[in-house]
Amino acid sequence: MKRVVVMLLLWLVYADVYAQADATQLYTRLRGKIDAIKDYVANVDMKIDVAFIRVPKLKGKLYFKAPDKMKLERNGGISILPKNSINMTVNNLLPGAAATVIDMGTEMLGTRKVRVLKVVPDTESDIILSKIWVDEERLLALKTETTTRDNGTIKMELEFGKYEAQSLPDRVTFYLDVKEFKLPKGVTMDYETQPANTKADKPQKGNKKGKIQIRYIDYVVNKGIADNVFADKKK
Amino acid sequence: MLRLELYKIFKRPRTYISFAIVTAIALVIQLAMVADGKNFISFALQAVTEQFDIQGNILNGYLVAYIILQSLLVQIPLLIALVAGDVLAGEAGMGTLRLLLTKPQSRTRIVLVKFVASLCYALMLITWLAVVALGLSVLIFGEGDLINLKSDSFVVLLKHDIPWRYVAAFGFAALAMATVASLALLLSSLADNAIGPIMGTMGVIVVLMIFSTLELPIFATIKQYLFTTHMIGWKGFFDDPVPYTAIARSATVLVVYTILFVGTTIFWFNRKDIKS
Repeated sequence: MKRVVVMLLLWLVYADVYAQADATQLYTRLRGKIDAIKDYVANVDMKIDVAFIRVPKLKGKLYFKAPDKMKLERNGGISILPKNSINMTVNNLLPGAAATVIDMGTEMLGTRKVRVLKVVPDTESDIILSKIWVDEERLLALKTETTTRDNGTIKMELEFGKYEAQSLPDRVTFYLDVKEFKLPKGVTMDYETQPANTKADKPQKGNKKGKIQIRYIDYVVNKGIADNVFADKKK
Repeated sequence: MLRLELYKIFKRPRTYISFAIVTAIALVIQLAMVADGKNFISFALQAVTEQFDIQGNILNGYLVAYIILQSLLVQIPLLIALVAGDVLAGEAGMGTLRLLLTKPQSRTRIVLVKFVASLCYALMLITWLAVVALGLSVLIFGEGDLINLKSDSFVVLLKHDIPWRYVAAFGFAALAMATVASLALLLSSLADNAIGPIMGTMGVIVVLMIFSTLELPIFATIKQYLFTTHMIGWKGFFDDPVPYTAIARSATVLVVYTILFVGTTIFWFNRKDIKS
């Protein structure tokens, strides 16, 4: 009886070690696929859904260059990206290859069965922990939740289509925390659109959730982009 | 008769002071924006750039024109008063009112013609404002998307969606100036020299504007009935979505005030004793 228990325990330890090795291998393969993208230029349209920003859908060209350059260009128009917008790319929301990967089992994401990985970087970085929902079959990250030191928790949902072979999404939904926006009325001289006695309740103070959706129409990948493209020319 | 009134208005040098002032203010703001516009924009957008990176041609002609219009919020009505306050009182002061009333025209018609002449002057001033504030700014700074900062939000309008808003805003401003002209005309009918109505109109507008802009609960109820509160209705066209109901309400208030002021002027002027 004692031998059976020992054998069972050994099998469980082996199974766990094997699962972690498998998860690490899965993460390494995923990371490798993402790292293969050195740069891209994509035609995009961007919808910003933040309580205090009222902006129509912005169309433009999104430039990305690994590891940390991103710019939205709108043919002479104004472009708006969240501060540290580099966090809007998957490769910056996932720790580098030197990381401890923990297998959290499987989950259903919509109709698709996905493996959930928790990744803790081995080296000091802004990322504390990333949780990734991986489609093992297609080797794609469909959802990420990254806890950072300076930028709070960033959630991202990705939908793939034409460019899934290169791990490039067709649509990304990015959730972020935004602070309250307030300027003195004496400065802005607002036009009151509601009579004083029918004004709606004021919104709650403090941080609020914002959402940014980017639809990628097409990509030009790994053709090289000069660094000066990312310089801010006008303000 | 209207042609004669317009001739009287435009032969006076003081009429052109208004055009010179509008030009000077617009040029000073444009010059300041050329010299230090980037710092101004950085300061104005501080609250937004804490959280978002904004790039592109922010300092463009549409934004500069908007800043000029906002700066001229108080001055333009005063410039309208300069002429409209003089149309009846000036005649009385110069002793030509009796002569004018000997003509086979009803007093009501005289008041209406004087009002229309003042309105023509106001429209010309607004048109000139459009030329120097908008036309010149676009020429100097170029076109671009417009950022409109409100106390609780940040509105971005795309450049192809802006020109019609300026047309509508200038149209609304003309309506607001008609109200100012009608007030000046009313005060002008009560006085025998031009200084009183001009100063009176300026005083009424400045005091009411303070009530309209002060965020004190005591004024909250009354300020919605003040015409000065509704004079900035042009700003509604730079919101997204455009608050058409509020703009229509403001336009209605301005029209009612204009009719009230012109009506009172007609009533008063018809009973005015010009013999003494």
